[in-house]
Amino acid sequence: MTERDMADLPGYVSAHIQEKLAAQAYELGIRVDVRGDVVHLRGEVVSEERRREVEEIARGAAQGREICNEVHVVAVGAPDDEERLS
Amino acid sequence: MIRVAAAGDLHVGPEVAGTYRTRLSALAEHADVFLVAGDLTRHGTVEEGRVAAGELRDLGVPVVAVLGNHDYHSDAEDEITDILRDAGVTVLEGDGTVLDCGGTKLGIAGGKGFGGGFEGRCASDFGEPEMKAFISHTKDFAGRLGAALLDLDADLLVSLTHYSPSADTLEGEPLEIYPFLGSYLLGEAIDSAMADLAIHGHAHKGTEKGLTSGGVRVRNVALPVIQHAYAMYSLDIPARVDSTQARERVSAW
Repeated sequence: MTERDMADLPGYVSAHIQEKLAAQAYELGIRVDVRGDVVHLRGEVVSEERRREVEEIARGAAQGREICNEVHVVAVGAPDDEERLS
Repeated sequence: MIRVAAAGDLHVGPEVAGTYRTRLSALAEHADVFLVAGDLTRHGTVEEGRVAAGELRDLGVPVVAVLGNHDYHSDAEDEITDILRDAGVTVLEGDGTVLDCGGTKLGIAGGKGFGGGFEGRCASDFGEPEMKAFISHTKDFAGRLGAALLDLDADLLVSLTHYSPSADTLEGEPLEIYPFLGSYLLGEAIDSAMADLAIHGHAHKGTEKGLTSGGVRVRNVALPVIQHAYAMYSLDIPARVDSTQARERVSAW
């Protein structure tokens, strides 16, 4: 029997990257899409440092694929207005 | 009128200590209370709990918080709760509190909550013990939330949870994960007590505004959703049905 190379199956690669992001970066809300040789990351984190960390963890599980990091850092300025609920 | 500031999913840790707090400098001028809808930490360590307490200490307004799933990850939720309480934060878990806001009694009941899904697309208390444990955690909490809301003697009632009581505010999240984001059982408890507002977090890709089935306004205040350090809501003081009448309605189900 020949074992199949799972790196060829992008669905499993993205699922394993998401597992790693949960276990090592504690980020559950990052979308991971594998398209050809590129892993696309989307979502939001609270700091630039975490954005880089997410990328590095994804790279470690990306089976040599390039990383396109479109995760952005959430803006948290004071609000401009309030909503009136009457 | 009561002015409620609210935010969820702060996800603080030592590397961002003090950053969030700098955004709260005007809070005391604008708000009567600050509600924090869980996930104060990144992975629930005591160290992160201390950072969260530092962000929320002495803000000049009462701070009422619930924990979220991230705050449970390192099995230190009790210690984190104690650390927050030592910093003056009221931490709710299936109970409630009443604040006097310039003569108006603001009642807040809440807790983490849990998942299960929404009407017609939800998990059932059936089958394997693991599945029953999942749903019974939500059912137990919903029962305590409903009882806590009904117990409060207040002019305005606000529910504060981490998980969502409504599918409306999950719009933008993948449908497949709705059962991990909230439960209609929370909404049912909120509706039975005729709460005035339900605040939650957890759904980072969701939508700010929604309703329970009974028409209670629901607001998802996860930071990635509100895109600010907190959201502000002002509530008129209604002539409310007293809790005895609400209880009668519940018992008539």
